[in-house]
Amino acid sequence: MDSLLRSRGGALVVFGLAAVTPLVVRDAYFLDSLVLILLWGALSAAWNVAGGYAGQVSIGHASFFGIGAYAAALMVTRFGRGPWLGMLVGVVISIGAGFVIGFLSNRLKGPYFALSTIAFSQVLLIGVSRWRGFTAGGEGIPVPFRPGFATLGLGHAGWVYMALAAALLCYAVEVYLERSRVGYQLAGVREDEDAAEALGIPTRRLKVFAVTLSAALTSICGSLWAQYIGFVDPTYVFSVDLSVRFALNAIIGGMGTALGPYLGSILITSLETYLRATFSGVKTGFAGIYLIIYGTALILVVRFVPDGLAGIAARLRTRRAHA
Amino acid sequence: MDPARPLGPAQIDVLAQLAVATVLLGGIYALVSVGLTLIFGIMRVVNFAHGEFLMLGMYLAFWAFSLWALDPYFVLFVSIPVFFVVGLVTYALVMRGVIHASHNVQIFTTVGLSTVLQNVALVAWSGDFRFVRPWHLSTVLRAGGTIFNLTQVVAFLIAVALTAALVAFMRWTHAGRVMRATAQDRDAATLMGIDTDRVYRLSFAIGIAAVGSAGVLVAPLYSVYPTAGLQFVLLSYVVVVLGGLGDMLGAMLGSLIVAAVEVAGSYLFGAAWKEIFYFLLFILVLVFRPAGLFGQRGAETLGV
Repeated sequence: MDSLLRSRGGALVVFGLAAVTPLVVRDAYFLDSLVLILLWGALSAAWNVAGGYAGQVSIGHASFFGIGAYAAALMVTRFGRGPWLGMLVGVVISIGAGFVIGFLSNRLKGPYFALSTIAFSQVLLIGVSRWRGFTAGGEGIPVPFRPGFATLGLGHAGWVYMALAAALLCYAVEVYLERSRVGYQLAGVREDEDAAEALGIPTRRLKVFAVTLSAALTSICGSLWAQYIGFVDPTYVFSVDLSVRFALNAIIGGMGTALGPYLGSILITSLETYLRATFSGVKTGFAGIYLIIYGTALILVVRFVPDGLAGIAARLRTRRAHA
Repeated sequence: MDPARPLGPAQIDVLAQLAVATVLLGGIYALVSVGLTLIFGIMRVVNFAHGEFLMLGMYLAFWAFSLWALDPYFVLFVSIPVFFVVGLVTYALVMRGVIHASHNVQIFTTVGLSTVLQNVALVAWSGDFRFVRPWHLSTVLRAGGTIFNLTQVVAFLIAVALTAALVAFMRWTHAGRVMRATAQDRDAATLMGIDTDRVYRLSFAIGIAAVGSAGVLVAPLYSVYPTAGLQFVLLSYVVVVLGGLGDMLGAMLGSLIVAAVEVAGSYLFGAAWKEIFYFLLFILVLVFRPAGLFGQRGAETLGV
């Protein structure tokens, strides 16, 4: 228990605080920020499964997010069924798509893999935008709010717990990858694929596994996001900016660390909320100003702090231990 | 078109029109792509922000045209030095520090740069679609049953001239030889006393000057908006990968192939779906011919 507390202390604090907050805070604005921090954190953790743990850096994860979001929204609006069934369908489709992308990762390395994932998300963007009859095209789909757990029409506190559940799910998968045999094998694939292959690790199968798992988790969060926000449109859910955002939180927090994506999300999502409040009076492009800051942050972080917040924390801890 | 039907004059006209459209489009894509293949081939850096420099070139043409009624062809004289300097500054500020870093660091650095440039354009000039409409866009040329506007033809001629000039520069000047030597073997080039940092700076600046000028040239043919570069950057990666890393003549051939796919796709399935063809072509090329149609040297350093 003591070692658990030491290694997972940060996570206990983060998730514990998130669980307690709705009991004491009633402010809708604050709870909304908390839901977004948890959801974006969960999405970045899902990206981290492929990008951080397996070293398969994707800039097209918005594909799976969009599949999940559209599956849930279309299931409600076109078929009159619950969003949970949509989430399930989204996961199944994303597993199929993840399998394809995972196969690509066996053929392509580094920049080529990243480019192919962008191209994949663009194919989905164009397909969904043009297929007006079914997806409503570029106009997007408003998702109706129907109160109840089965329809995912929850209050603010309910959404905090729903987002927390998603965050814990993704966190649990990450922890599994840190402690299990599969996780160690994946680390081998990430650090030196040829050496891993020589040791008899099934590198190809593992990469497909990691990318598919990451796709399924991203899709689940995408479905939740669609129900929470209540609106889905192709240019947002399949955008490159969104894919970059998943990666950004993980990079700022620390790629390949379990808590890193959540730390990154706390920082970036709070920054966004703060900037939105500050610049809401300014008419021209709040989104633009925010994205300029986040692109700059990305350039500076990969250059100067490539191991992110988690790396800084680890260094501070060692320094304290030596002192 | 029904393949069973014998080819009458009408069908031959359609084919001629499609063929000429392919060549005109291919010339422009070649100019967009040579800058990328130069940077990619010599620096071994995948520049995800390449399309954003094209977008900046388009905005330069738009503002010069709407503020001072300057024709894009005159803007070209300004754009080449301007984008050369932009390339030098970008290299010094952003690229220089990551040139020896891992792929992931390079990917996210250039992706970050792309996000910044897109949104600077969004904040500064809004997300509206803008158009450059010089007089020559409505001047129609007819030749042998094919119809084109003057802008396309002139853009093609200038693009080909600039591309040819770049190829000649690489082949016959001392600087060009030094750049090719660095592309072949970084370490050996350093041992021969070549200042590789200078080579990288020069390559990046020339590459950006080429793509920025391509932006000025295509501005009348496409709408101008902050994310206009994205479709071009993916397309030019198809070209570069097809033609082979750093191979300029390969890039020209690759441009023609991509243009042919786009023209045939728009003709058969409608222009609305044309982008989907290059993205599919892109994925197929990456999967089946990642080392280019002819294979190439230097691919191993990118782990292909």
